Amino acid sequence: MVEVKIGLEIHCQLTGLNSKLFCPCQCDYQGEVPNTTVCPICLGLPGTLPLLNKMAVAFASMISLALGCKVQERIMFYRKNYFYPDLPKNFQITQYNAYGITSIGAEGKVDLGAKSIGIRRVQLEEDPGRLIYENADVNANFYTLIDYNRAGVALVEIVTEPDFDNPKDVRLFLDKVTSTIEHLGVCDIKLDGSLRCDVNVSLKEGKKVEIKNINSFGDVEKAIRYEITRQKTMSIREIEIKSETRHWDDARKVTMQSRTKEEEQDYRYFPEPDIPTIILGDQFISTIKTKMPELPDERKIRFLKDYALSDHVAKVLIDNKELADFFESTVKLYPSSPNEIAHWIISDLLGLIDDIKKEERSLLSGLRIEPKHIAELVKMIDQNKINRNIAKSVLSQITRTGEMPSYVLDKMNASLIDNESKIAEAIDSIFELEISAVRDAKQNPNAMNFLLGKVMQMTRGRADPKITLNLIKARLAKME
Amino acid sequence: MVSKDEIKHLGWLSRLELTTEELDRYVSQIDEIVRYFDKLDTIPLSESEWTYSTKEVSELREDANRVFKWEKLQSLKNRKDGFIKGPKMS
Amino acid sequence: MPNHLYRLTANQVTCGIKNGQFSAQEYIFQILERIEKVDNKVNAFVLVDKQGAIEKALSIDKRLRDGEAVGELAGVAVGIKDNICIKDLKTTCASNILESYIPPYDASVIRSLKENDAIIVGKLNLDEFAMGSTTEFSRYGPTRNPWNLEYVAGGSSGGSAASVAASECAVSLGSDTGGSIRCPSSFCSVVGLKPTYGCVSRSGLISYSNSLEQIGPVGKTVLDVVMVMNSIAGIDENDQTTKPIRPIATLTSEDITKSNISSKYTADQNKRNITIGLVKELIEGADPAVSKCIYSAVDLFEGSDCKCEETSMKSIQYALASYYTIATAEASSNLARYDNIRYGFEYDPEGYEWNTYFSNVRNNFGDEVKRRIIIGSYVLSAGYYGKYYLRAHIAREMIRQEIKSLFERFDVLIGPTMPILPFKIGQKIDDPLKMYQIDIDTVIANLAGIPAISMPIGFSNSFPVGLQIMADDMCEQTLFDVASFFEKIVDVRRSPEI
Repeated sequence: MVEVKIGLEIHCQLTGLNSKLFCPCQCDYQGEVPNTTVCPICLGLPGTLPLLNKMAVAFASMISLALGCKVQERIMFYRKNYFYPDLPKNFQITQYNAYGITSIGAEGKVDLGAKSIGIRRVQLEEDPGRLIYENADVNANFYTLIDYNRAGVALVEIVTEPDFDNPKDVRLFLDKVTSTIEHLGVCDIKLDGSLRCDVNVSLKEGKKVEIKNINSFGDVEKAIRYEITRQKTMSIREIEIKSETRHWDDARKVTMQSRTKEEEQDYRYFPEPDIPTIILGDQFISTIKTKMPELPDERKIRFLKDYALSDHVAKVLIDNKELADFFESTVKLYPSSPNEIAHWIISDLLGLIDDIKKEERSLLSGLRIEPKHIAELVKMIDQNKINRNIAKSVLSQITRTGEMPSYVLDKMNASLIDNESKIAEAIDSIFELEISAVRDAKQNPNAMNFLLGKVMQMTRGRADPKITLNLIKARLAKME
Repeated sequence: MVSKDEIKHLGWLSRLELTTEELDRYVSQIDEIVRYFDKLDTIPLSESEWTYSTKEVSELREDANRVFKWEKLQSLKNRKDGFIKGPKMS
Repeated sequence: MPNHLYRLTANQVTCGIKNGQFSAQEYIFQILERIEKVDNKVNAFVLVDKQGAIEKALSIDKRLRDGEAVGELAGVAVGIKDNICIKDLKTTCASNILESYIPPYDASVIRSLKENDAIIVGKLNLDEFAMGSTTEFSRYGPTRNPWNLEYVAGGSSGGSAASVAASECAVSLGSDTGGSIRCPSSFCSVVGLKPTYGCVSRSGLISYSNSLEQIGPVGKTVLDVVMVMNSIAGIDENDQTTKPIRPIATLTSEDITKSNISSKYTADQNKRNITIGLVKELIEGADPAVSKCIYSAVDLFEGSDCKCEETSMKSIQYALASYYTIATAEASSNLARYDNIRYGFEYDPEGYEWNTYFSNVRNNFGDEVKRRIIIGSYVLSAGYYGKYYLRAHIAREMIRQEIKSLFERFDVLIGPTMPILPFKIGQKIDDPLKMYQIDIDTVIANLAGIPAISMPIGFSNSFPVGLQIMADDMCEQTLFDVASFFEKIVDVRRSPEI
């Protein structure tokens, strides 16, 4: 197999801020009228100067620390010069490390269990505006519509070393980084466009191809697989692979050659003269360290220890902060069965969520479920008030109605078959169909459960399991 | 020696479309000027701190948002439905 | 009512108005009349805000009548270089590309001047985007030297110096990236200050080279310059490169203990025993017509208990190359934003491919601006960054260090502001490198970030000669002390006949 090298550039909007990176404009542009959350600074009007946001530096430092980076004592900003109509100044203020390390974070490491991924740097930069095309076919437009509301929103760019050799690890990494960012509370990852990822893919000894415009993390894997296949095919056919930037075509799920734009050697980076060298200093860094919230790795260790969860279960919960938080709130309400609670959350509750929602990571937002529901449900199971099958259907109803499990169960019980003759009818027909199972059950009481299951299936779970089991026992006894 | 192609490429990077006359003139003028800059060649490259301006984090802007009062925002150029109209992308 | 109010210094104007000798309205009418009379010859103003000026004057007069307080620059006619933004007033940088640009905000310095009740009379001519040393590269045509209208006024703040010299306003603001305040001040025989980098907010100054430039005042006297500085200097939340000012005398430790530490600069110090370093390289490189004038001034200083000593600055050899590398690099990036999308002239983008549209628009830059953009792109290019930009920065640090060590021995360093006398309009315009070389004496202060002042020191062949005084970082007060002392010894104040 040909060796593959993959590196990532993740852009994370610091939506946890009130204002943009370099001006006091409102950072939240979602749903705002175009070009209203703007000011002379983010529009790049002549004479304006960038005014670096203190909290943005703090957030970026937190991300750096969380990704195992060394936070630099002095940081600098650079200008990346290129023209594009979404860029108000026709340069982007960013950070750069070619002449000494001056980005906020550098030389980090993220542990994926089997291997670890190097973090080359973590840097602050500004988001450009948004281009909108009235006609979906870009080529059919006679003009472009520009909304500068997003221009100047703070981004943290996380650049990895090309340490991945398969798309699966990329997925694991992205899950972990996403959860970390969620735990830090610096970015609402559910917001459209708040997390974006560019990918570099190269075959062994080959040239590096950059893929941009991958709009969802789910497509990152697809884009990498497509690109690996494309490059392998080319190398088999002995076609030269060029170092280039390609775009992910969201509709067709392929990578496409980009129109000529400035390439890396054309960016003419130089230090941004309007922003002083910022001295972070030991005190700042130690203050940040004390303010760091619990991170996924630490949380997982705590979950294993405090709740005796399995490694897998803890990982699934913690990969999504929303689930982990939900779990802990539920355990607080009903501390007796953390494992049972975890099980209900990650298998049954997650099973009710469709893939699109999972991709958007807004798992529970559409459901009317709250921790108190799961807490009560698990308690009822523990007290044998409800069997698992019924509990499942109760759960699915709760997610739609928001009713308490006990209330749902009461309503169901009203329609529960407790009429012994009706259940006996069902048992009769099952005993006729499952002759060999009946024979087994006579020898082995455990096989009775099979017959019970069959009856439950026939009555679509409405038969009272206790009555049913008693009737089965009685019937078997009678046969002897 | 500064070449025509170099100046042409730099012109493109700066979105300046130079006429043949400008190109010829700039090539010779800029060649003369960067030759003068060659004085700098005798300076040894060394680690050099950028110290002309430094600030502590505490001196930076507080993260508070403020609306820019701008009666004439709508008179920004080329408006269409609140958007600003730009040239086509292809 | 006294005649020739327009000739008064800023200090005389505020005193006169506050003491009721004349009204702000009477004064401003004379100023407007003066502009009308002489500016068609000098071409210092690119825009006169008659209405705004009169309204401000009336409001000052009313407040004085009502017994209300007025600001420290009450009534003073101020001209503003047209690369400093004034809200709702056209700001063009003398460029076709900004011919119809109206900023929606005031530069911080403008806000300060307005708060101090200065009367802003209009916008002043400059080289396009402040790139030039003669004010010839302007869409409005060259500003002419009030001492001889066939000659250049210097630049790029030619309008700022010529307007004050021609008494079209009492004081003005210019910007100084590599000498742009001091050069025209020297050529027009007025006082011009380039403050320490970070002393005055650049917010609202349309950038040419951000790490080098500063806004500064031009006036007829050191006191006038001090008055303006007291209004505009200091830390500003809109410019993170600003620093707290140090308006205390720092000549000797004895002086520091004696002086009451005030928050304001002063011009009434009578310092003696000043240790002056005469920079050999600057004197030797100057036209004899200039150096002769400097030497006779030095004789006068030595006769007044000052200690003058010749000194050398080796790193000066790199100054010009370092300066033009850094300035053009920053400029090439600063000027990228002019794509006519968000502001600019009428030119509908619909139907144009974006690269074509941008190129068409940017074709409106003048020749010198285009040249500097390309030079700047060149020195930043991959492969040349280390050769030019990085070395220019290292050279800059060398200069800064050498200057710092000189200030351990000297209170101030002096030399000519300009190596030559004013020359005829058009004489150097076709030779960029020759033009750049006349900045050799002034760029040092910008590279080192230190304050420097140019003050009239005499005349040579009936052309003004300026003396440049440089002081250590944030030591503006030292400059004012020395300059006001020299001003008393060498009184060359005259007015040109126009």
